Amino acid sequence: MATTTTTPMAFSGRPSVNWTLTFQRVITLVVILLLWQFALMSGLLPKITPGVPDIVTSIFTVVTMGNFWVGFGYTLFAALAGWLLSCAIGVVLGLLIGTVRPLDRSAALIVEFGRAFPTIALMPVMMLVLGATTNMKITMVVLAAVWPVLVQSILGSRRLDPGIVSTATVFQIPKGLWFRKVLLPSALPFIATGVRISASIAILAAVGVEVLTQVPGLGRLITLAQEAERWDNALAYLFFAGIFGWLVASLLGRAEGRLLRWNRQSDD
Amino acid sequence: MSNTESVPGGTLTRVSEDSLLRVTDLSLGYGEGADEKRIIENLSLTVGNGEFVSIVGPSGVGKTTLLKGLSGLLKPKAGQVVVGGGALEGPHRDVAVVFQDYSRSLMPWMTTRENIAFPLQGRGQKKPLRNKAADEALDAVGLGGQGNKYPWEMSGGMQQRVAIARALAYNAKVLLMDEPFASVDAQTRFDLEDLVIDLREKLGVTIMLVTHDVDEAIYLADRVIVIAEKPATVVDVIETGFGTHRDQVATKADPRFQDARGRILTRLRK
Repeated sequence: MATTTTTPMAFSGRPSVNWTLTFQRVITLVVILLLWQFALMSGLLPKITPGVPDIVTSIFTVVTMGNFWVGFGYTLFAALAGWLLSCAIGVVLGLLIGTVRPLDRSAALIVEFGRAFPTIALMPVMMLVLGATTNMKITMVVLAAVWPVLVQSILGSRRLDPGIVSTATVFQIPKGLWFRKVLLPSALPFIATGVRISASIAILAAVGVEVLTQVPGLGRLITLAQEAERWDNALAYLFFAGIFGWLVASLLGRAEGRLLRWNRQSDD
Repeated sequence: MSNTESVPGGTLTRVSEDSLLRVTDLSLGYGEGADEKRIIENLSLTVGNGEFVSIVGPSGVGKTTLLKGLSGLLKPKAGQVVVGGGALEGPHRDVAVVFQDYSRSLMPWMTTRENIAFPLQGRGQKKPLRNKAADEALDAVGLGGQGNKYPWEMSGGMQQRVAIARALAYNAKVLLMDEPFASVDAQTRFDLEDLVIDLREKLGVTIMLVTHDVDEAIYLADRVIVIAEKPATVVDVIETGFGTHRDQVATKADPRFQDARGRILTRLRK
């Protein structure tokens, strides 16, 4: 899972509705859907591809089906659990690596290797060790989603100002308090970016593992729908996976805007 | 005290019973062995209880290094720093520091109240108590009722007041100030100088201020210690004799002020 290092983006603290932007986004969506439908009718897409109206109908029928919600729940649980674990592990490890000099040097190679490693390739091993279980799914999610948080936490902890360090030293701030109230907040703008990227990866990884291993969840439903040649349903499931990812990302963006108000101001 | 004799009119060996801070033959530097570079050599001084001492020296003489040594951020190569009876081995509960760069010493993610209360939290003080202390300190520096503001919502002068309030709330025996007014405009600088004089008069805090500004050094202090040469050491000591009350116009027009100014500037030009 290759991850890029991104500097924290500024999010507006107070949500204000930008009508022009909303309009533009709707237009883009409509254009894409029209292109899809047009491509299908002109024979550019294979015959079995469902049309836009079919998918829309499917989206509404799928919602009424119990097995969709069960599958969605399974995926959600694994993604959420894996993501939370990734955040906890990534932040603690990252801040330690970033501040303890010898650890930083010795861990650099592993971190570079890990973030570039195709996690999916580990799945056969994980299947052997843990079996086709929820635990295996969560482990896979962590293996995929921990890297952005880890890398961003390391970068964030290096950003700590020497002036702040001197201040904390002179005023004899104890280690634990220093970690929570000095290092962590200082690194938080970077960590937030990692956490956001990691959330999308978590959902992606959970669905991916389900598709490949047939562990219950949205991914398995997608495979089953494909096998039954219900492409409309398969796409409806994908739609929900996407919507969920978007929802999580925008919620995190909101939280970030509120929590990191100080960061944008002090950079002025 | 090798250079006591060479100091004209110096009162270097003024060892009073109540001397709070005593520096004896202090040498500071960086690096080890052959790479060692001495910045401060054989520097001795004392600061009495309630006294205001300025240390003045040209830029690059090692003032910040000295302050690091006095605040326990830098281990001495030789000699020692004694605060309130015990030799300094690192940062000390009895020493608070106001740094030059307020924007890098206040934590932007904390409100002013949290910034001031933070060292008290580190000491294990309960929240209502430390918040009360923080609010009192804010009152003392003329920022009453501004505890919920963030540093970046304030001007530079106000931020430095918060940093001073934090040092006051820490309730240390000695307040070290490292060019605390160097990053603000002239008017704000005068205001802050008078605030410090006022605080000292009211609260009787012992202050040691490090500066390159000769006028500021004389205006604020009871005693000005001049450091120069490489590695730096004490080259002159001047008692100002203005008492605790000062005035930006009258004090600076005082002949004693002019004399001291001339003497220090001549000494620094050598």
